[in-house]
Amino acid sequence: MSAITRVGGPASRMWRGRPALSPGALKGETVWHALIPVAILSLVILIAPVLAPYGGTDVNPVGALQSPSPDAWFGTDEIGRDVFSRILIGIRTSWFAALGVILLGTIIGGLIGAIAGAFGGKVDMVLMRITDLFLSLPAPVLAIAVIAAMGPSLRNTLIALSIVWWPWYARIVRGEVRALAARPHAEAAQLAGVSRTRLVLKHLLPGAAAPVIVTMSLDVGNLILALAGLSFIGLGAPPPAPELGAMSARGLQYLFGHPWVPIAPAAAVALLALAANLLGDAINRRLDQRTTR
Amino acid sequence: MTGTGPVLDVQDLHVTFASSGGDVHAVRGASLQIAPGEVVGLVGESGSGKSVLGLTALGLLPRKPEPRLEGVVLLDGLDMITATDEDMRARRGTDISAVFQDPMGSLNPSMRIGAQVAEAAGGATDEEVAEMLAATGIPEPEHKARAYPHELSGGLRQRVMIAMALSRHPKLIIADEPTTALDVTVQAKVLDLLAAASRERGVALLLVTHDLGVAARICDRIAVAYAGRIVEEGTAAQLLQQPHHPYTVGLLASRPRLDGSIAGGDLPTLPGRPPDPRLPLAGCAFAPRCPAADAQCAGPLAIHVNGERRNECHHPGVLTRWPEGGPHAGRRDPILLKAPNPVVAPAMVRGVPPEPAVVVRGAVREFERPKPFPFAKRPAPFTAVAGVDLEVPHAGSVAIVGESGSGKSTLLRMIVGLLEPTAGDVTLGPGAPPQMIFQDAGASLTPWMPIGKQIEERLAALDVPSSERGARVAATLEAVGLPAEAQTAVPRALSGGQRQRAAIARAIAVPPALLACDEPVSALDVSLAAQVLNLLCHLRETLDIALLFVTHDLAAARAVADEVVVMQRGEIVERAATEDLFTDPQHPYTRELLAAVPEIHAMAVPA
Ligand SMILES: Nc1ncnc2c1ncn2[C@@H]1O[C@H](COP(=O)(O)OP(=O)(O)O)[C@@H](O)[C@H]1O
Ligand code: SF4
Ligand SMILES: [Mg+2]
Repeated sequence: MSAITRVGGPASRMWRGRPALSPGALKGETVWHALIPVAILSLVILIAPVLAPYGGTDVNPVGALQSPSPDAWFGTDEIGRDVFSRILIGIRTSWFAALGVILLGTIIGGLIGAIAGAFGGKVDMVLMRITDLFLSLPAPVLAIAVIAAMGPSLRNTLIALSIVWWPWYARIVRGEVRALAARPHAEAAQLAGVSRTRLVLKHLLPGAAAPVIVTMSLDVGNLILALAGLSFIGLGAPPPAPELGAMSARGLQYLFGHPWVPIAPAAAVALLALAANLLGDAINRRLDQRTTR
Repeated sequence: MTGTGPVLDVQDLHVTFASSGGDVHAVRGASLQIAPGEVVGLVGESGSGKSVLGLTALGLLPRKPEPRLEGVVLLDGLDMITATDEDMRARRGTDISAVFQDPMGSLNPSMRIGAQVAEAAGGATDEEVAEMLAATGIPEPEHKARAYPHELSGGLRQRVMIAMALSRHPKLIIADEPTTALDVTVQAKVLDLLAAASRERGVALLLVTHDLGVAARICDRIAVAYAGRIVEEGTAAQLLQQPHHPYTVGLLASRPRLDGSIAGGDLPTLPGRPPDPRLPLAGCAFAPRCPAADAQCAGPLAIHVNGERRNECHHPGVLTRWPEGGPHAGRRDPILLKAPNPVVAPAMVRGVPPEPAVVVRGAVREFERPKPFPFAKRPAPFTAVAGVDLEVPHAGSVAIVGESGSGKSTLLRMIVGLLEPTAGDVTLGPGAPPQMIFQDAGASLTPWMPIGKQIEERLAALDVPSSERGARVAATLEAVGLPAEAQTAVPRALSGGQRQRAAIARAIAVPPALLACDEPVSALDVSLAAQVLNLLCHLRETLDIALLFVTHDLAAARAVADEVVVMQRGEIVERAATEDLFTDPQHPYTRELLAAVPEIHAMAVPA
């Protein structure tokens, strides 16, 4: 009866503890089910480039800097490449790059967070210091450093982003694992003779699934924007790769004469980020509902 | 006060929540009146609708799922059902206020006590705040006003809530399980404070509780709720001495009593559970559990009113006592469990007396205290357990009693191996390693893992071959009285009592030599508590498991233990055979504990 935790005092605040700590709602499947919409959207995006009339670097026979027309829906750029086709391919790249960074961040962060949370003490302290160090790195500066060292490529940009992204996940997972390790169920499992590894994998880590998934889903939009930002300032794949940030940066000089060249890819980034955020919110609300009930 | 009418007048109240599984009928036609200044107890098992009734009067029902209200709830003559949120907010504090079970949930953790009291009072000076705190018996009120909620003990926090509830001189206070989370000694003091505050100021009090003993301690009148209706109502003396409704008789019977009339693990239990609030009711809701039910009981309700007394039973007074040793839910002989397991069977040699389940010698446990500021010298450690000797015989049963903070749980955790003793030895007898039952059964089970899996884990850890595990899990569930479906259920899908049974099932799937229980029933309703206590005693007998039972409920200790040990400040101050301790307590602290138990028989009938 959650109602009993409410207050009757006249002006006193209706204060309630953070509900996430009662992971009672986290029946494994429900949590994973929340990711189904992401999978569906990924599928749609995966086949999107098949709809593209031209390749990412192919020239549309209508010629350079043509206005949008039935032959070139979003027009063509300075060397005659089809903007619509490039955007479809760019969307796919952004989307999967974002998912990749998040997945990598979750795996690395999850591992480090789980170890720190499960061991505690010195191990925890050292790992969390390292995490905080990485957390304090500014993404663009790090990206410049990585690219200076390894050369510009999408892969290197993603490596740079992963380096600054995983610490968030390490923190979340560590926090949840610590909190769960203090619950009697961890002690009860220990008394039942469960091994340490099994304790972490089966009795602690699953409790971090919901907050991690919520963060993951809200992060997709952030990453799409971060990636476009880096690519906009020239820290993405080198030309002629169809990347949304770089396309709109290079098209900027045609803003007045041929606005579709820079604006179409920028609008695509905005729409993609918006879609990702709406999806993230929906997942968040759904899991939140399950945990607070 | 506006007149002589009741402060609270509830007439034929129905509260229904729409839910995906069908409408939940939380209150099904309850009526209750409270006169100005009157102290009324509302008693019943959880789910009987008592809290919803209180929240309706407070205008604090949850918004989701949306409740549907029918009937009349007049607070000092004004309707609360049709009132706007605005009106209700204005009346909370000035006309009606509340004290809930969990003060931590009601207090803002990041705001000083004094500021919260001042806010509740609608503005007050520091002196006024100190006065209000002092009036509820808070020592050093000026000092405590500057503390944050977590710096106070549970009892003090509840006093702060009472100070806040009283701060605007309301006409009615609704106290919902205000002492359930507190120790007996503190419980008694907080109850007495509530009663005194209400009598002195002429504030009416509605005490909502699952414990008849608690209501008996301070109430003028008691109403018994069942399945959303008030099934019996009368003065405290009438109800306790001459209950008319069989449910009241059952509630009275399932309270473990200090007089030990039902010691030895045979507490009569109320079999079954209250009806599903989603199902419609025809006739008497108690019929499925009532020993006196007959064909007539399925017909329209019989309502008898006689002066102050009222009941809804076709045969009021048929039952003068609950049948002894009623059916024990799940009482099946766990024969399968006894099949000796080669790995864990104690090395019993014929003729040699079995070794004790555990021997503790000179156990000490210290905890480091945090430094008051970063470069301070580390303060001397805090001694939670200060040199304890204890022995639990093979298949014996020892209870440890004492108020919270006395070191009971710390001792228990050292015995089962969750904590290292700072000094001293713990020697365990042969057999499977000790297991522990926790107060909060829900928290002691992994939330996302099916019960069957959790039991199986322990079997696997003790090398029970995988081919035998399935049958053993099933037999264990049966032995603790859980349905077979519980195997695939996650803890959330079970009720509180079922969760405690599930935790017990895991602990006995391979019977340990020692089962340590830390307040195993203090979170359960009386009838469930009695069932679980019976189950523990029964398992002890059939499986030769020794019980070490920590409790602050002396009556429960009496029901299960052969020997009782009293702890205070980390030391054992008295130990005696159970009967001797209760009939002839030696240590003053033991006497204090005994005197503090809310006891129905020792009740002074309020004038
Ligand atoms: N991990 C801990 N760190 C510091 N103090 C503790 C810890 N565990 C228990 N204590 C303290 O030891 C005392 C005894 O606690 P406990 O054994 O839980 O008492 P009981 O079970 O009798 O209520 C309390 O004052 C408590 O605050
Ligand atoms: S009406 Fe019948 S079933 Fe109900 S309590 Fe009375 S005797 Fe029992
Ligand atoms: Mg304790």
